[in-house]
Amino acid sequence: MKNAVGLILNVDGEDDSLKDFLQHRSLSTLPFGTGKEWSLSRKTQDLSILSGSNNYHIGRLIKVNLRNLQNNRGFLDATGAEHILIATPNLVTTFDFKNAYDIHLKNDSDITLIFKKDDPLYHLKDNDLYLEFTRNRVSGLHYKREHTTGHFFTEMFFVKKSVLEELLDLSERTGDWDLMDMIKYNIDTLRVFGAQHTGYIKRVNCLENYMKTSMDLLEYEIMQELFLGKNSIHTKIKDNHPTLYNDPAQVSNSIVGSGCIIDGTINHSIIFRDTQMNVDSHIQNSIIMQRCEIGRNVNLNYVVMDKDTKISDHTTLVGKPHAPIVLKKGTVI
Amino acid sequence: MNTECVAMLLAGGQGSRLGSLTFNNAKPAVLFGGKYRIIDFPLSNCMNSDIDVVGVLTQYRPYILNNYIGDGSAWALDQVQGGVHILPPYMGQKGGRWYSGTADAIYQNLDFIDRFDPEYVLILSGDHIYKMDYSKMLTFHKEKEADLTIAVMDVPWEDAHRFGIVNTDDEHCIKEFQEKPEHPKSNKASMGIYIFTWKELKKALLDDAGNRESEHDFGHNVIPMLHENGKRIYAYPYSGYWRDVGTVQSYYDANMDLLDCDCDFDLSDRNFRIFSNNTSRHPQFIGPQAKIINSLICDGCIIFGRVENSILSHDVVIHKKTSLKNVIVHTGAIIEDGAILENCIVGARARIKGDTRYITDPADTTPEIHVINN
Repeated sequence: MKNAVGLILNVDGEDDSLKDFLQHRSLSTLPFGTGKEWSLSRKTQDLSILSGSNNYHIGRLIKVNLRNLQNNRGFLDATGAEHILIATPNLVTTFDFKNAYDIHLKNDSDITLIFKKDDPLYHLKDNDLYLEFTRNRVSGLHYKREHTTGHFFTEMFFVKKSVLEELLDLSERTGDWDLMDMIKYNIDTLRVFGAQHTGYIKRVNCLENYMKTSMDLLEYEIMQELFLGKNSIHTKIKDNHPTLYNDPAQVSNSIVGSGCIIDGTINHSIIFRDTQMNVDSHIQNSIIMQRCEIGRNVNLNYVVMDKDTKISDHTTLVGKPHAPIVLKKGTVI
Repeated sequence: MNTECVAMLLAGGQGSRLGSLTFNNAKPAVLFGGKYRIIDFPLSNCMNSDIDVVGVLTQYRPYILNNYIGDGSAWALDQVQGGVHILPPYMGQKGGRWYSGTADAIYQNLDFIDRFDPEYVLILSGDHIYKMDYSKMLTFHKEKEADLTIAVMDVPWEDAHRFGIVNTDDEHCIKEFQEKPEHPKSNKASMGIYIFTWKELKKALLDDAGNRESEHDFGHNVIPMLHENGKRIYAYPYSGYWRDVGTVQSYYDANMDLLDCDCDFDLSDRNFRIFSNNTSRHPQFIGPQAKIINSLICDGCIIFGRVENSILSHDVVIHKKTSLKNVIVHTGAIIEDGAILENCIVGARARIKGDTRYITDPADTTPEIHVINN
């Protein structure tokens, strides 16, 4: 996209149920490198990791916190692009931004909000936002606790750089750092339009949504849309061997990464790279992350194992669909 | 620039005995063990041996190979001074010509080797599956003050007639060569891995190039000539897993070794990894009715059928009500609803129709392996 630059803004401490995964894992410590794997490394511009501000919140959460941008005015000043694409990092979707960008340019919008008809979340939060339209223009923004309209805001939008800079100046004067609030209260003076998202989209903002969204990938149609389509999802490449399914292995209705050695039974589960699973063990409805080791005669149902977790022989763990058992990174049981 | 040891990888052979696996593809670029290509083994060995200048001599159908090697970063061979260099035949002031033999290919690239001014040159070929730390062989070469060191391994006596056999004294000094002998005097077979002291190799190549009767082949001409001239030639004993994958049968057998628990060739060993040039792919999707037994499966596969004792490369799609047993499937092949395959190799991007029945006689314990392409 010419003349546009993308910004992914982190969301701070959104839900306590995910804290086991989030602690000690700031975004800037993740090995994104130059962004080569996502074709985001160019001679003129690589992927940049910017540090946000040290945010705190009392009472309510800010969805798009302008303090994070204020801290990085230099990045905005340096970019020659006239339009900024902003998104939150907790979305599971595949979307070609070009169509939304065309709508943004065609309407000469200040802001183009990407929305989805109906609720795409399993578990809605009070501060999830809905759009209200008057003809094709967005005439109102409402929090779920106020009222719902059926046009769900995906937390992805285009904004003119000049408009964003004005809003940043304004928020510095007023002390209101919530960008969505600023758009909401200035909706009459801004040219705000909507662009529709018609594909699969889920937001992972709590453990329940994480679990359900993960399990969605076991539906072939959803998996096809996310991983086999034109705009498929890419990730870091690892040099590990192909997964070895030994004689006693029985795997069905699952997604398995490379580098695993499997001797047990797996059903309706997601197994990340380099996991080892021993004989006489059963896993179902579970998520097993990288480099986990599962001993003999282990039974897991509704369990989420974070990276490098080890489970010794003869262990049984059974969680619940809406409240799976979570094993923190590096746990040994 | 001074580099102690430069590796030259002979990757130009047609590999005609691999049948349709090499119709459009050079032998070193043929897929192996699902995700790897044969050339990953020598290149990863170089990386694991701290050899960081590698010339790859290409000639036959080089496109996939060149594209695969790229800038060599997959094997950490993208260094400023060194790295991997693809060396195809070229035109000079007096015209140009194809590489006419293994020694001629190196002879035509004397300038390349001279640029690095090495003391030793390691000659490798692109059709063997093995893990080897060449730096140990180089230490051996230096200790023996050899002009040439040949890696050798003990092969079963009944197979010795198929190899180049060397006879050595107690100090590993080679006293005699026998090329595919009817009556072998030893079972030490050459693995086609040589370390030369560069100044001796250069002299030998210049002599060989002037010999009109020579076929310019290391095994047939250059090494016997060095032996006749009384050069110090030693045998470096190697005892790990090593397979020549020059024929469809040997290629198939070496792949199937990966599914054999008793085989000592371990791809999952983190201390000696085999690297490959990967691209991003989705994880394996195993459907509700799928059944996978004793198989090796790569990213990007989608499986709804039964897969037993088989190896699936990237992006293979196995539809419902299918059955695969003892099958190697290459990248992007699609096995449609109902197909039954046994003991065969399915070529890259082949589409196997649902009514295909490729079944071998259960009484036949060593069925001939065929390659199925579209």
